[in-house]
Amino acid sequence: MPDDLPRPESATRSPGERAADHAVIGDLADDLLPALVAKLAATGLGEIEVREGPWRLRVRRPADAAVERARRAADGPSRSQPGHAGHGHSPAGFEGHRSARDTRAMTGHSTNGSTPGLTAVGPGPDRDTDDAPRAESRPSRAIATSPAVGVYQPRPEARPGTKVRAGDRLGVVDMLGVAQEVVAPDDGLVGASLVEPGQAVEYGQELVVIELVGAQAGEG
Amino acid sequence: MFRKILIANRGEIALRVLRACRTLGVEAVVAYSEADRESLPVQLADEAICVGPADAKRSYLSAPAMISAAIVTGCDAIHPGYGFLSEDEGFAEVVRAHDLTFIGPPANVLDRFASKEATRRLLAGHGLPTIPGSNGILRDDAHALEEGERIGYPVLIKPAAGGGGKGMRMVRTPRELEAALNVCRSEARAAFGDDSLYLERWLDENRHVEVQIAVDRFGHGVHLGERDCSVQRRHQKILEEAPTPALSEAARADLCNRAIRAVVAAGYENIGTLEFLVDRDGNYYFIEINCRVQVEHPVTEMLTGIDLVTTQIRIAAGEPLGFAQADVVSRGHAIEFRINAEDPERDFRPVSGVVERYLAPGGPGVRMDSHLYAGYEIPPFYDSLLGKLIVWGQTREAAIARGLAALDELLLEGVITNISIHRALLTSDAFVDGKMTTNLLDRVGSAAFLAAAARV
Repeated sequence: MPDDLPRPESATRSPGERAADHAVIGDLADDLLPALVAKLAATGLGEIEVREGPWRLRVRRPADAAVERARRAADGPSRSQPGHAGHGHSPAGFEGHRSARDTRAMTGHSTNGSTPGLTAVGPGPDRDTDDAPRAESRPSRAIATSPAVGVYQPRPEARPGTKVRAGDRLGVVDMLGVAQEVVAPDDGLVGASLVEPGQAVEYGQELVVIELVGAQAGEG
Repeated sequence: MFRKILIANRGEIALRVLRACRTLGVEAVVAYSEADRESLPVQLADEAICVGPADAKRSYLSAPAMISAAIVTGCDAIHPGYGFLSEDEGFAEVVRAHDLTFIGPPANVLDRFASKEATRRLLAGHGLPTIPGSNGILRDDAHALEEGERIGYPVLIKPAAGGGGKGMRMVRTPRELEAALNVCRSEARAAFGDDSLYLERWLDENRHVEVQIAVDRFGHGVHLGERDCSVQRRHQKILEEAPTPALSEAARADLCNRAIRAVVAAGYENIGTLEFLVDRDGNYYFIEINCRVQVEHPVTEMLTGIDLVTTQIRIAAGEPLGFAQADVVSRGHAIEFRINAEDPERDFRPVSGVVERYLAPGGPGVRMDSHLYAGYEIPPFYDSLLGKLIVWGQTREAAIARGLAALDELLLEGVITNISIHRALLTSDAFVDGKMTTNLLDRVGSAAFLAAAARV
């Protein structure tokens, strides 16, 4: 997501401009917001962002849904076993694939014209489990995945047991000399590494387990 | 020969290149985006690697992602297919800088043919007729208007880089020219990262005829005949055939011989296609060269029996061509139908969806190059080509008959396609009489063709 979009800044704007801004915000909220909320619920996306002129409108699922998603990433059925269709002769470097089910939910950017400008900024939970009761089981783990195809190097500071916040850097994937940050998907403790330092990884490959703090017995 | 090739593309061409690699006994790795995880080339590949998200800019158009993928999987060459990075002349150079081979012309050759405008002048110098056009790249609007006046309206605005009709516009007046320049510049910039434009005189009723050539590193070259790509919708080819019904056998031989002589003299290497416009009187004018495998290459393969993709890979590996002009024997007639996920009822708008049932047609002289399978979900992120149906017959009439039978046999449910326009074309007088021109579909309207077919 480029962040260089012109953004209205209230400090430098005249009362007339501000009134115009409020009118636009009002219209966006009335016209667009209900449609986006409905879309979010219907598609199972995690987050939707829409741009209209200089304005950006982002709708995100509540945090528990995000945690639910992380749990599925950690515990859900995954195609990470070696030797699945099409990958029979993979070198030892490629053992992991992110669950294809996460990818399925990324149907936001559509060319059929029904949702112009709609961009999915993150995979959401699966449709079929969308309405499942959320309180039944607390997820225990989230997984940090590779942002690029290249060679993985963990940060020495991010050793197992280290407390991290969502967005903290766990390591890098070197793509042709450019370091791509691997970040923690959630707050928690650094758990097991799923790949060795210096190992070749593909985009989306599962790299590091994050044990979610709330789920640790005696720590909540 | 290469040890292992990274296929930096998707869909039917990824599958076509994979098959070529298998034929040559070379290992192949299919590089794919997250949206193509379930695609057929990924499933059939010995090895596949996810290089990025659905957004092509971060996967199929990302040179660093593709090169990184090639390095970590131990590949020594990259096949770009068509579209995506095959259109990016900087890519070949970067690939070479990482000690990998770009399967296509070497970087210095690509460089020489990178600008359409410069190529036009280069090949004109080697004896190819060209359409009168602007003297070099347009410097600014004033220069464009000056050149437009000199060439005479209508004129065609063309981007110096790329192809596929993007950034291209025909204008009839200076006022239209002025209004269109900015649109063409931004389209060209978005599609090719280069907004230089030039002008060509517009030939109102023309045919698009292209010559397939192959030249090895040792300057030994052959032509493999021509293809007629006059059936177009808004500058997009939808059906191709060979031989062209527009030229006599003698004229076709003359065109092909002049084309191969010119490119060999200009120092071209690898397979390539020279595009010509043919006017009503059979005069032909060189317009551009495509330095990659073309979507419509199977038409030539059906006529000659020569595998163009393995030829391309062998030349890139430094092997001699291995056959002479006399070995290239063209037989019969072939037609290719591009099967697109498009809705003919809604101005051919691209559609996506899940392929519920799919059965490819068969029988003598029928070939289907497609990445479809029942249950395949067509991702909405990429172009709408689902596959190509190619038919061959001893004569044009026989090929048309096989085409109609094969289109009827092709079963594709769950997704709207443009199959109806192909049926309509094969039963239209304009096509049957070999009278299609590049603007006919747009001028008469696809709807008129469909309606005429419905009445039959």
